[in-house]
Amino acid sequence: MFINKKRNDEREKMATPTENSQVPVIQPEPVEPEPMQADTEAGYPSGANGNGGKPSVNNLKPSIISEGFEFIGEIRSNGYLTIDGTVRGTLSLHSIQIGVTGVLDGNVTCDTMNVKGNFSGALDCRDLTIGSRAVVDGKVSFKSITIQRGGVVKGELKKKP
Amino acid sequence: MADTNQSGCLTVGEGVVLNGTFVVPDIASVSGSIEGDITARELIVASSGVIKGKVTAEIIDLRGEIHDTLTAKKSLFIRSTGKALGSVQYAEIEIEKGGDLQGSLQKIDGEGPASGSY
Repeated sequence: MFINKKRNDEREKMATPTENSQVPVIQPEPVEPEPMQADTEAGYPSGANGNGGKPSVNNLKPSIISEGFEFIGEIRSNGYLTIDGTVRGTLSLHSIQIGVTGVLDGNVTCDTMNVKGNFSGALDCRDLTIGSRAVVDGKVSFKSITIQRGGVVKGELKKKP
Repeated sequence: MADTNQSGCLTVGEGVVLNGTFVVPDIASVSGSIEGDITARELIVASSGVIKGKVTAEIIDLRGEIHDTLTAKKSLFIRSTGKALGSVQYAEIEIEKGGDLQGSLQKIDGEGPASGSY
């Protein structure tokens, strides 16, 4: 009993300052709004509406590689991937969005690609959108391309029939 | 655009076919067909316009076709009906959905932000 009480007291002593010090930490960090208002139609939700005939895509939840996260390897999915971190490797997806902080380097096959960050490598897609702060460098083949003003594209471009 | 006789401007009407080298100090507006080299400050290619050759301009507004070599020292706009095939150099680029861009792309250093009457 006494021991327990003493321990409880100690815990309280310990807990009080720690809790106080944690108060500012617990507060949620202010979320910076993603600067995508200019091209929301190019974001991944539009892919779901614009692409009939692939119902399985709509059932899949989007996957996210967050900022600060680095992935090296192969990704295969029939769904959406948002890249805010770094991905290197071979990707085969339905839809990819590279966020402003995102970096994608590798061989990519997808239906819809929306680049706001950085892409390098080889890309084979149907619908390609390059945002105003994006940098795309490599061998790109597409059926439809949109480049917003300010977007940088280097390399070889090829339109598929 | 070409309603009044503006100095330094070239207007190529629809159905007109030109061959040769053209240096246009100001605006070149092309609705017809040009084979050869053209240098202009601003080049406007209408949807019926076709240029085959070496094209150099500060600002290019493309609704038609340009084949071969294309250099836009400031801005290159490819509209939805526009087609640029070949070697493309640009300082700033914008492509509307449906626009066609094929070949090798290279970004060059522009002469500051694009200005002008587009």
